[in-house]
Amino acid sequence: MTRPWDIAVVGGGIMGCATALGLAEGGMRVVVLDKGDLCQGASGVNAGTLSLQIKRVSLMDYALRGHELWEAMGDAVGFRKTGGYTLAFTPREAALLEERQTLKRAAGAPITFVSPKAVWAAEPGIADSVVAASYCPEDGYANSSLTGAYYRARLTEAGIAVRVRCPVEGVEASAGSFALATPDGPVRAARLLLAGGAWLAPLAAMLGVDLPVRARVNTVSVTEAMPALFSTVIGHATGLLTMKQKPNGTVLIGGGWQGRGTPDAGRGQVSADTLAPNVALACHAVPALQDARLLRSWTGFEANVPDFYPLAGALGGVEGAYVLGCVRGGFTIGPYLGRLMADLILGRAPERPLFDPNRSFEGDT
Amino acid sequence: MSRTADTPAPVRITFDGRDYDARPGESLAAALLRAGVPATTQRHAPGPARGAFCWMGWCQECRVRHRGRWVEACRLTVYDGLTAEARRAADVR
Amino acid sequence: MSAETDIAVLGAGPAGGAAALAAAAGGARVVLIDEQAHPGGQVWRKKDVDLPGLAETPETCAGARLRGDLEASGATFLGGTRLWHIERVEGGWRLHLLTRGDRAETLTARAAILAPGAREFVQPFAGWTTPGVYGLAGATALMKSQGCPPGRRSVVAGGGPLALFAAAEILRLGGEVAAVATPNGRGDWLRCAPILAANPALARRGAELIARIRRAGVPILWRHVVTRAEGDRALIRVHAAPCGAEWAPTGAARAFDADALCVGHGLIPNVDVAVLAGLPRVYDADRGGWVVEAGPDGRTALEGLFLCGDGAALRGAETAARAGAGTGQAALADLRGTPAPPPAPRRPDLRARFGRAMTALARPRPGLLRLTRPNTVVCRCESLTRATLDAAIDAGAAGLDALKSATRCGMGPCGGRYCLTAAARLIEDRTGAAEGTVPPPVPRPPLFPLPVAAVAAGFDYDDLPIPAPAPL
Repeated sequence: MTRPWDIAVVGGGIMGCATALGLAEGGMRVVVLDKGDLCQGASGVNAGTLSLQIKRVSLMDYALRGHELWEAMGDAVGFRKTGGYTLAFTPREAALLEERQTLKRAAGAPITFVSPKAVWAAEPGIADSVVAASYCPEDGYANSSLTGAYYRARLTEAGIAVRVRCPVEGVEASAGSFALATPDGPVRAARLLLAGGAWLAPLAAMLGVDLPVRARVNTVSVTEAMPALFSTVIGHATGLLTMKQKPNGTVLIGGGWQGRGTPDAGRGQVSADTLAPNVALACHAVPALQDARLLRSWTGFEANVPDFYPLAGALGGVEGAYVLGCVRGGFTIGPYLGRLMADLILGRAPERPLFDPNRSFEGDT
Repeated sequence: MSRTADTPAPVRITFDGRDYDARPGESLAAALLRAGVPATTQRHAPGPARGAFCWMGWCQECRVRHRGRWVEACRLTVYDGLTAEARRAADVR
Repeated sequence: MSAETDIAVLGAGPAGGAAALAAAAGGARVVLIDEQAHPGGQVWRKKDVDLPGLAETPETCAGARLRGDLEASGATFLGGTRLWHIERVEGGWRLHLLTRGDRAETLTARAAILAPGAREFVQPFAGWTTPGVYGLAGATALMKSQGCPPGRRSVVAGGGPLALFAAAEILRLGGEVAAVATPNGRGDWLRCAPILAANPALARRGAELIARIRRAGVPILWRHVVTRAEGDRALIRVHAAPCGAEWAPTGAARAFDADALCVGHGLIPNVDVAVLAGLPRVYDADRGGWVVEAGPDGRTALEGLFLCGDGAALRGAETAARAGAGTGQAALADLRGTPAPPPAPRRPDLRARFGRAMTALARPRPGLLRLTRPNTVVCRCESLTRATLDAAIDAGAAGLDALKSATRCGMGPCGGRYCLTAAARLIEDRTGAAEGTVPPPVPRPPLFPLPVAAVAAGFDYDDLPIPAPAPL
């Protein structure tokens, strides 16, 4: 029998890969297993928005560090720092914008309020019905579909074993070691990190732990290549729109509109009932989008727990088992949380606090 | 093109700045093909040329700009006065 | 606009047309949907232009009969209409349509019969993006609907009877044919002799086609494949080389001056709608590659969803029409809660055997991969070459989702229809995986480039359903 791995990371998304890299750097022998392929879940299908304007106030520090890490990844992940506007079209939205962005600004995001005139001067394609806006020069995007190829290359360089199309079908925990059942045979490891995104709950259940993980079914759409319409990341005061035009001219439209389906049923479905208003909202912000053609819409499962804060830490009651996931804004923050997790597992003190997965969720909805 | 008394009168269309005759009922792509223009990308631009390929509205190679929007030339029925712009060769990545 | 009906039939070719007729004959409300302006599908297409003096063919006659029957039936025909999404709803299926004039509409049906037919597979080869190079089935559709040959002087290339039909059609429409190149050998056809003998009408038709081609002095190159299309802004020359039994080129190519090349390497069942609706795919080369399971009466694993015709298994128009009628009856029976009609007697069906034999002649063989050179464009939309894809595969993109993500292969406006089948074979070849082990990605709506204006139309900003903002 081969020597057990120091750690098995279950789930090859951004969280799992980023942690695996930190662990390998710290000297551990690491294997990453994914039931599909690297970054083909939420990590690879989200809209790629890197916007401080849509981050939670208490996660702003983490998001700022996340932005730095994405910037360092650079062209390999299609990183662009474009700046971003968040738009309000009614007085009610303007009030919401002011309240929320003031708090985020206080939390350290360099957000300023700008006049509609300033918006139109910078972005002539934006509708003349804007009544208020905020701007953040740190905002931009990365190309989520490149994350898989990026991490595959990094993991390979780091000598990390990668097993794709390799679902974990069972876990046996015994004194200081785990045996994972997979179609390719058992995988033995001294430690275990669960980073299975929307599929975390069934993984934790294999260890007898009940995690209240739910999944949102976020819809993203892309248009055919268009002439230059706008150059920044555009959002909406309610958070129901994120939009960017890529260097190839295609426009990516997101905003968390809900499709249907559940992770255990395998895949989500686009709902025409929510796709239509999502696209209509995009046209409301940039009217020239009316002339575009929609090429594809798809969904990704975004995991969360009732308080919408991350699960990041040791799993109570199971020696050597850890969990990382359920991060709101996980695309932005994931690479940084991965570093912190690696420090925790390596026995070093993480530079920022993590998020105890064993906390109580009672009272949260 | 010879015309008999039974043949309906042609319609006039403009593509990529040039005028052509077309048969009522035919598609823009077919009209261009009969006129000896298999490419639906710009005539005088450097870069690769593309044109109708699948003739079923799927491959998108024959897409042209019509009334400000992309349409498949093989699915666009001609009408008198139809004007369409060629896809820029530079857009063929 | 939204409407409802008992049975929606998607695709008005031989299968869908027969299904609509059968269901309407039983008194059900039937809506028959097709992207063409008239029923008929690819095989029984109606001419879109008025060309006096052009003789009828067995296909135009069959099409005219179907159109007449549908006209007299109670079925409603929705032409010029494409489906961009399908969703399961309480008690049926919701079809999201783009109708004439780019209007988005929905149709909710208690049962949906999918008769989507097949699309063409073309193995990427040097110069296949040159204007003047056409899909063989596409060029055939062009001739049927527009009544014009694909060029002044054409080369026709492909397996099975379609290449012979297309060549004869070009001649009939006044075009010249420089050569017919078919990867089939004479022996392939000889092996079909018993089946042809049992179908005298179809055999006679084939003999007539070949006689017409011969009379025109057109060379028929058996066991040949087109290796290269030459030309910059337009096709000027076509190179065809001898090939082996697995269709890999084996010898020196001959060149033919031509301004049109009609080339196809078999058909692929259109399963996108069925998969989008939630049905799994299985690989079955005999039925046409990645297919969806449907019973002889068209029933699928999903309630109220039926599939028939070439979209279920490539068997040709005659078989499709019979399957369509049975499917229409089964859908009607389910709707009424009456027992389904007894299954058609399982007597040896000569037409099905004929369809199967013809499909086998055209089925792409593995040697075709050799046509795709390192610098050959595979993904037309994104202009990605085989070398680019091979590099990504070597770097670990061993599935189509990973290959798409890493390279954008299949992410252009055609939705991967003209590259992903070839890309899957590249992966299989490069990684040593068996044929049919790299599944295509799940199709994503819209199934074709959908005008944003259509889907966003009718929304008033004040009516936008805006839920509570995200937690701070």
